[in-house]
Amino acid sequence: MKISLSWLKEFVPYAGTVAELDALLTRAGLEVASAETRGADFPQVVVAQILESNPHPNADRLSVCRVDDGSGTPRQIVCGAKNYQVGDRVPLALPGAVLPGDFRIKVGKLRGVESEGMLCSAKELGLAEDAQGLLILPATSPVGAPISALFPPETILEIEITSNRPDWLSHLGIAREVSANTGLPLAAPEIVSPGTRADAAIARIEDPAGCPFYSVRRIAGVKVGPSPEWLVRRLESLGLRAINNVVDVTNYVMMELGQPLHAFDAANVQGGLVARRARAGEAFLALDGREYALRESDLVIADATRPMALAGVMGGEDSGVTEATVDILLESAYFDAPGVRATARGLEISTDSSYRFERGVNPAGVLPAAARAAQLILELAGGTAEETTVIAGALPPVEWTVPLRYERARRLLGIRLTDADLDAPLTRLGLERLSGHDGASEWRIPAWRGDLTREVDLIEEIIRLVGIESVEGRVAAAPAPASTADAFYDAALDVRHTLAALGFSEARTSTLVAKPAGDDFLALRNPLGEEQSALRPSLLGGLFGAVRRNLNLGAASVRLFEVGRVFANAEEEELFYVAAVVTGHAAARNWRDAERGAVDLHDLCGVVEALVPGAEFARAFDARFGLALEVCIGGFIAGVIGQLAPADARAIDARHPVVAFELRVDALAASTLATHGFVPPAKFPGTTRDIAAVLPRELPWGELRRVLREAEEPLLAGVEPFDIFTDDSGAKLPADRKSLAFSLTFRSPERTLTTEEVNAAADRLKSRLREQLGIEFRE
Amino acid sequence: MEAQIDSLRAEALAEIEGAGDVAAVRVKYLGRAGSITLLSEGMRSVPKEDKARVGKALNALRADVTAALEAREQTIERARDEAALAGIDLTLPGIAPQRGSLHPLTQLLDRAVRIFRRMGFALAEGPDIETEWHCFDALNTPAHHPARNEQDTFYLPDGRLLRTHTSTVQIRTMERHVPPVRIIAPGAAYRRDEVDATHLAQFTQMEGLYVAPDVSLADLKGTLEFFFRELFGAGTNVRFRPHFFPFTEPSFEIDIQTAALGGKWMELAGCGMVDPAVFEAICDRRLDRVYDPEKVSGFAFGFGLDRLAMNLTGIPDIRMLVENDLRFLKQF
Repeated sequence: MKISLSWLKEFVPYAGTVAELDALLTRAGLEVASAETRGADFPQVVVAQILESNPHPNADRLSVCRVDDGSGTPRQIVCGAKNYQVGDRVPLALPGAVLPGDFRIKVGKLRGVESEGMLCSAKELGLAEDAQGLLILPATSPVGAPISALFPPETILEIEITSNRPDWLSHLGIAREVSANTGLPLAAPEIVSPGTRADAAIARIEDPAGCPFYSVRRIAGVKVGPSPEWLVRRLESLGLRAINNVVDVTNYVMMELGQPLHAFDAANVQGGLVARRARAGEAFLALDGREYALRESDLVIADATRPMALAGVMGGEDSGVTEATVDILLESAYFDAPGVRATARGLEISTDSSYRFERGVNPAGVLPAAARAAQLILELAGGTAEETTVIAGALPPVEWTVPLRYERARRLLGIRLTDADLDAPLTRLGLERLSGHDGASEWRIPAWRGDLTREVDLIEEIIRLVGIESVEGRVAAAPAPASTADAFYDAALDVRHTLAALGFSEARTSTLVAKPAGDDFLALRNPLGEEQSALRPSLLGGLFGAVRRNLNLGAASVRLFEVGRVFANAEEEELFYVAAVVTGHAAARNWRDAERGAVDLHDLCGVVEALVPGAEFARAFDARFGLALEVCIGGFIAGVIGQLAPADARAIDARHPVVAFELRVDALAASTLATHGFVPPAKFPGTTRDIAAVLPRELPWGELRRVLREAEEPLLAGVEPFDIFTDDSGAKLPADRKSLAFSLTFRSPERTLTTEEVNAAADRLKSRLREQLGIEFRE
Repeated sequence: MEAQIDSLRAEALAEIEGAGDVAAVRVKYLGRAGSITLLSEGMRSVPKEDKARVGKALNALRADVTAALEAREQTIERARDEAALAGIDLTLPGIAPQRGSLHPLTQLLDRAVRIFRRMGFALAEGPDIETEWHCFDALNTPAHHPARNEQDTFYLPDGRLLRTHTSTVQIRTMERHVPPVRIIAPGAAYRRDEVDATHLAQFTQMEGLYVAPDVSLADLKGTLEFFFRELFGAGTNVRFRPHFFPFTEPSFEIDIQTAALGGKWMELAGCGMVDPAVFEAICDRRLDRVYDPEKVSGFAFGFGLDRLAMNLTGIPDIRMLVENDLRFLKQF
C-alpha cells in the first residue's frame, strides 16, 4: 500500500526523517518496501519568464536569453534548448542551486558568453526519467516563485501489510501505529455522522450473509466537475487516476480511513437498491469496460432491473457518476470478507476496494466514512445531503473484551516487566483497561482491531511495542533423544558421502514429472503443465534426463546420483530411494593409462557392493532396462541394477552403455544399523592356485561358482575370476569357447597347509567342474 | 697353496668389483662347486704343521670375498634405488581418482542440521503428500485463506495436497509424541508457482519446533540467534521483525546482516510462539490434553534453503540448483 508522508503528517506530527520512519514501521511489523521522494525540493530554483532569445555569437546550437526571475533585474542565461518561445515560463536554477547528481550551478561563461544560472528540463530537476528541452510551466505560474510551490516535495512509502492488519490499509491506520509507537498525539478528522433510518424501498438486503450491513445517502444537486488540485495531486501521488470531484472524494476517503465507498448516479437507479446474489446467466458491464458473466455466488448491488455494482469490488460502467450527474446515492457497506474474495478471485478482478473488504473493514467506520465523504462532496461539488442515511441490516459487534494474565505474558515472552509496563503498550494502542485484580485485567478492544480476540493477541501486541530487543535470548533445553528420522538421515548422508567418494555427483531432480506409462502412479489434479503432472514413481527418469543434458553439454562421462522421495499408488506411498547412473569411461583420461574401458553393469555391481557389503544379485526382469539384476540385502529385495536397452541409451544420446541402480534407503539403513558378528583374522597363511579353464562361451561364471560352492570343500576360502578371454576369429581359441582364469584360495584355521593337501583339494574341485559342466583345464 | 689363495683372492675381488649378477659370482666362488670351496678341499693334503696357517689364510679369503660380495650388492641396490626415483617427471599432472560431490543444498542443509543437533534437536519427518487438515486447518489457517486456493497449491484428485510448507511436520510430530518435543525437519515443499529465475514449484525448507512447559520468546530468540551466528559467523547481526503467520503468535520474520551475504539485511526465516489454536487442534486430534496451551508453550521456525544457498554462493538463477549440470555440481 502507498502512503503519502505529507498526508500521514496531517494525522500525526511525526518530525523524524524518512529513514527513521522506515525503521519505526519496520520494528512495528510494517515492511517498508520502498520510499520514494518526488517533487522538486530545490530552494534555489524559481519560475522565470523568457523575455528575449538571441542566437549565441559563437555557437550555432546555443541561444542567449534574457529572463525575468521575479527580482526585477533580468538575467542573462545561455541555453541549448529549442522547444520554448519568448514569453514561456520555465524553471531557472540560480547560482548556488544544487540539482540531482550533486550538480552545482555557478555563474560562468559558455563559449565566451556569461550565463547567470541554468534553465532546466524536467529531467534535470528529477521530475521525469527522460525529457527533451526545457520544462514549460503553466502560463499562470507566478514568476519568481520557488519551483517547489509548483512541484511540492512528497515522499511516498510503499508498505507491505500483513493480512491480519486491515486497519493498516489507510493513512489514519498508519498514523495510529506511528502514534502508538512514538507517543505522539493522533489527530483524526472530525466527523459528525447523521442519523439513520430504515427504508426498504430505498435499500434492502436479500443476502445478509454476503452483506450484513448496507447504507446509502442521497446527495441532490451536485455539480460534478474536476477536483481541486490538492485532491488530484494527492490521489495521483498514490497512483490513483483523478476522475471527478465525487468519485475522487470516495477514493480519497478510502485512502484516508480505509472504508471503500461507492457513488451511484441516482438517475440511473430504477427503484431501490438491493444487495442480492447474482442470478443465473446475469451479465455485468463493469467500469473497467469488461463484461463479466456472473455466478450465482457473486453478490451484487442491483436496482429493480439490473446489477449496478459488483458488491465491494467494482461499480458498473453505466451507473457511475459523470459530468451529467445531478443527484448521487453514496454507498457505504459492510460486506462479507470471504464472499468478496471469492468474487474477486473468481472474476479475476482486484481493486483497492476488494483488497480492503477481503481483509475486513472496521465495522465502526462504515457510517463515519460515509459522513466524511458527504461532507467533502458538499464542500467540493455543492448539493444537499439528505438529513438521514438509509440503512439496512446490522453491523457486527464493535465492543468486546479480552482478558490478560500478567504472569502468563511474562512467562510466554521470557521477560521481566511490571504489570504497569505490560499495560502501557496496550493503552497506547487504544485499548481500554476495564478492570484488574488477582494478576489479571480485562481490556476493551477498539473496533478497528478485529484481530485482537484472545489473550495471546494482547501478548503479541505488548512485545511488538516493547520490542524483542528487550528479551534476552536463552539457550537452555534438554536435548531430545535421537529419533528414527535421525538414524535415517545419518544413513542417507553416509550413502551420499560414499557415492561422492566413488566419483558420483549428487543431483536434485524434480519430484513432479510427466505422467509415466501405465496408470499406477499418483497424479495432480491441478498441475502447472503436462511435464509436471505426476509424482515421480522413480528417481531414474530424472537422472536419465540429467545424463542426457550433460552429454549434450559435452560431458564425456556422467556419474550422477540422487537421494530422494518417490511416490507409489500403494500402501507405502512415499519411500526414500537412492539411485545412481553412469555412462562413459570408468576413469578420467590420463597420461598413464591410455586404455580406458566403458563402464558397464559390473562397475555398478561393485558400487552397490561398496555401499552394502554382502548385497546379492539375481537376474530379474525390469521393463526399464535391457538387462537387470535384483539387489537383495539381508533377504529383502532392496532394488535393481540395470543397463538400458541400447535403443533407450541412444534415445538419451549416450554412445556408451548406460547403467543405473535404484535402492531403498531404508534397506541400506537397516544393513548399516544391523549388528554383525566378527570373524577373527586368519592365523595361518592361505595358499592360492590359479586355474585356467576353457569352457563354452555361454556358460556363465555363476554356474562355476555354484558348483564350487556346492562342493563344500572345507579348505576352500575364496574364489575369484581374474581373466576372461575370447577370440571371435577362432585363431587362438575356438570362437564358441572362452578361456576363464580364476583363483582358488585354500586355508585352514588350524595349520599351514601342505602342498599335497592343496593340490588334492584343487584336483577334487577341478574334477567336479569337469564332470558337472564339462570344463577343460589348461595346465 | 698359499700362492693359489692369493691369486684366487685377486681374481675374485677383481670380478666382484665389476659384477652385475652378484649371485652368480657368489656361486662361482662360494657355491658347492665354487673355486674357494674346491680350494678348501686341498686342505687335506696340506702338511699338518702348515694347516693352522693355511686354514687361517683360507678363512681370510672367504671373509674377504664375502665382504666384497656384500659391498657390491649394496652398491648395486643403492644404484637401483636411486634409478627408481630418478626417472620420475614431477611436472606431470596427478592421476585423479573419480571425484564426486554433494549437492550444495545437501551441504548447506547438513551444516544447519549439525548446528541444531549440537543444541539438542532431533530430526523429524512427515510426508510430502498431506491432508488439508495437516497443512492448513491444524495450523490455524482460515477456511478461506488464499493459500488453500487451487491456483497456489497442488492438489491430488482425492483432495489431498502437496504440502506448501514443512510446518506440517510440527503437526505430525505432536500427533505422535508427547512433550517435550525438540525437532528439526528438513524437506521439500511445493507451491504452484511458474518456474523462473527465482521460483521453483518445489523447494527445500527447514522447520523447527520446541514444545515444553515454559518455553518462552527468550528461548526462541536465543536459539535462532545462536543458529544464525554459527552458520554465518560471530559477527552476524540478527533482527526479529514483527510479522504475521496464522500458526504462531507473536510472530516474527528474521533478517540477517552478515558479510557472507554481502552485508545487506536479508529476510531469511519466519518464526514465532506456537499459537494456542494449534495446540487446541492437536488436543482435539489426540483426544488428550498433553498439549494444553495452559500447560505447555513452544516456538516454531522455518526457512528456505534454496534462496540461502543461492545467496551464500552467488548462484544467480534458482534453476541451476535442479539442472544438474556436472560443471556446476563439481564446484561444490
